[in-house]
Amino acid sequence: MFKHLFKLIWNKKKQNFLLMSEMLFSFLVLFAVFSLLVYYYNNYKKPMGMGYQNVWVVSYNNALQTKNTDSLDTYYETLRNSIKGMPEVNDLSFCSDNVPFSANTWTGLAGYNKHNYSNVNMYNAEDSYLKTLNGQLLEGRWFNKNDMATKIPSVVINNELREKLFGKGEAIGKIIDESDDGKNKKRVVGVIQAIKAKGDYAAAGDAVYHRIDTGSFRWLGKIIIQVTPAANAAFEARLYKTLANYMKNSNVEIEHLVNKRKDINYFTLVPMIVLSIVGCFLVINVALGLFGVLWYNINKRRGEIGLRRAVGATGSSVSNQLIMESMILATFSLIIGSFFAIQFPLLNVFDLSAGIYLVAILLAIIFIYLLVFLCSLYPGRQAAAIYPAVALHEE
Amino acid sequence: MLKNYFKIAIAVLRRRKFFTFISLFGISFTLTILLVLTAFINKIAGDSYPDRKRDRSLYISRMQEINKTGGQSSGPLSYYFLSHYASSLKTPVKVGISSIFSGTNTYVNNKKIAVNYKYTNDAYWDIMEYDFIEGKAFNKQQVDNGDKVAVISEDMKQQYFGDVPSVVGKYIEADNVKYRVTGVVKNVPITSYMTYGDIYLPYTVSKSDVRKDKSYRGGFFGVLLAKSSADVPRMHDEYQSMIDRLPMESKEFDKIYSHADPYIVSYVDTGNEGKSGVMIVLTTIGIFALLVMLLPTLNLVNINITRIMERSSEIGVRKAFGASSVTLVYQFIVENIILTLLGGLIGVILSFIAIKVLNGMNLIPNLVLSINFTVLAIGLLICFLFGLISGVYPAWRMSKLNVVTALKAS
Repeated sequence: MFKHLFKLIWNKKKQNFLLMSEMLFSFLVLFAVFSLLVYYYNNYKKPMGMGYQNVWVVSYNNALQTKNTDSLDTYYETLRNSIKGMPEVNDLSFCSDNVPFSANTWTGLAGYNKHNYSNVNMYNAEDSYLKTLNGQLLEGRWFNKNDMATKIPSVVINNELREKLFGKGEAIGKIIDESDDGKNKKRVVGVIQAIKAKGDYAAAGDAVYHRIDTGSFRWLGKIIIQVTPAANAAFEARLYKTLANYMKNSNVEIEHLVNKRKDINYFTLVPMIVLSIVGCFLVINVALGLFGVLWYNINKRRGEIGLRRAVGATGSSVSNQLIMESMILATFSLIIGSFFAIQFPLLNVFDLSAGIYLVAILLAIIFIYLLVFLCSLYPGRQAAAIYPAVALHEE
Repeated sequence: MLKNYFKIAIAVLRRRKFFTFISLFGISFTLTILLVLTAFINKIAGDSYPDRKRDRSLYISRMQEINKTGGQSSGPLSYYFLSHYASSLKTPVKVGISSIFSGTNTYVNNKKIAVNYKYTNDAYWDIMEYDFIEGKAFNKQQVDNGDKVAVISEDMKQQYFGDVPSVVGKYIEADNVKYRVTGVVKNVPITSYMTYGDIYLPYTVSKSDVRKDKSYRGGFFGVLLAKSSADVPRMHDEYQSMIDRLPMESKEFDKIYSHADPYIVSYVDTGNEGKSGVMIVLTTIGIFALLVMLLPTLNLVNINITRIMERSSEIGVRKAFGASSVTLVYQFIVENIILTLLGGLIGVILSFIAIKVLNGMNLIPNLVLSINFTVLAIGLLICFLFGLISGVYPAWRMSKLNVVTALKAS
């Protein structure tokens, strides 16, 4: 049966070659679109790792120019107390510029047992940071005052990095290294649920949190504040006045994480929507083309089909034959296409996990089969309805 | 002759309506996608508001410093560098300096307004040609005095003052400071990041003292204006040689890169000497356009082959009466081009609709896409190519038909 169909296809290789190349390219386009969609969906499924609803971000710069670390600390302690004194404020934390949903990224190395990973997000945070963001502690503890005078500085890592460094093993108390020469040792005191700091659709990535020490205030520029639901625009204006009057030499800006999340998601969603629309249009185009060509081919083979019917083939077996033919065509192009697509996980292009590519390949294969099946269904049914007498008479 | 071909083409189009629909659908949608893309690129790269003197300007947007250990860091420049080094060049007649826009808030009747402010020097306003709806820019005198004056955008005026006829001389409060409005300018979309801002202030009122900071890098862009476009290459080289002679900021660096480039090159600058932004952008757009065009072209080739084979009797007759293969190929390609141009026409109409919808959605504030002559010309060219590419192979197949079999096939 298959051998026979194969022969039929081989006899018309020139015509089928074009059809096949069209299927091949649609497969590749679909593979690209699905890879992206699967990647985004995978990230979207994971927990946010924080509660951003009532968190505001304050940006400031060069509020106080002084060489004296003590007066620097006093200056910001006063600011902290005056903000904390407001009834609408639950908690706050000074932190480095890479606050959630901002465009700022700091990356560095982190390694354990000679396994170094680059592109690890480096955050600087205070003891109140996790509480302010409503983060989730999985093991150990967050920083506290006792971490001030330790010989090896304490750090907290997120579960993504924990997975890479320690696998199933114990993480708490282990010494990791932030340089490749063993000179930058840090002690892990806690593991938190990874915070998706670049929006719902972006991967959280690895992260190391360092405790802010005295003197860091020289270069810090952000405060995250958790407010109560009662905090309204009037309160915000008041808070702004307080900050701007206290830090006279600084540009102050207040942003809401809720809005920042919208903006950063927008940047991922827009390309996704554009690609999906383009992909859809290409698929419709291909479907129509396939449909037309198959339909024409069947009309040209009326004599052959009439002959088959005359010697006793049923209508359904004729239509099955035609559907099978196009399915085999599709299989050929999918084999070639998969050969190209499988290179992506093998060569680890774009640093995505192999699973994402494999799922995308699978989805694209199913999609193409479905498309080809649907496109050959109607022409096949038409062929089944051919009367042998009429068809043979034509010749 | 052509008239005849045209008649035949129309007759053929009306013969198999479904096939005609497929062809036209493919062509018109592909063209729509490409036209919207070109309109977008054209707007971002080609729209010269407010810097209409682009032909004689060079832009300095970044500096990259290479460590001895191989690390690198890059970013915009400092005011000190631009005013001290870039302004020392002989060729530029003017050096405009402006900061990267950054955000702050202002509150009007407990309503929050997000404000993007930008610090500029006075030469910036001479180089840029903002459309002033009212008032004018601040002058050198006001900048030197450190007057608290501001030029605001239309949007800002609308948000802050509401519907009032004139706001020149009124005060706007931003970042807890009151500034006197000297002028209102037409909006710039945020995609023109070197010239975008809601409120433009003299650099002398900046809260951090930009004149004291002696490092090379900070938060400023520079624009160099030459006397004429003939001076531009010389200006470029002069800046380059100045950079080559520039002393290192500290011992840890051993190389500095910075360029004064034409607008587009500067716009897509990655800040990394090793990665040319222009190349990255061109490859991305190229691959995208190729993919979008490849599939419909294949589709058209497929459909065209089936359609030609349907006309084998016609071809047989013409060949029997002595038409050469060349004539037939020529006829078929012309027919195909007529078809694609028809699809192109539909595509243009669809693009107009798509662009209207996109502008209505206001995805990027103040970015108003439009189809102009350039975009249309590109569209026409694309259509022509389409017709040619998708017509050649089927026509060649057809011309090789044997007369006898062609006549017998019917």
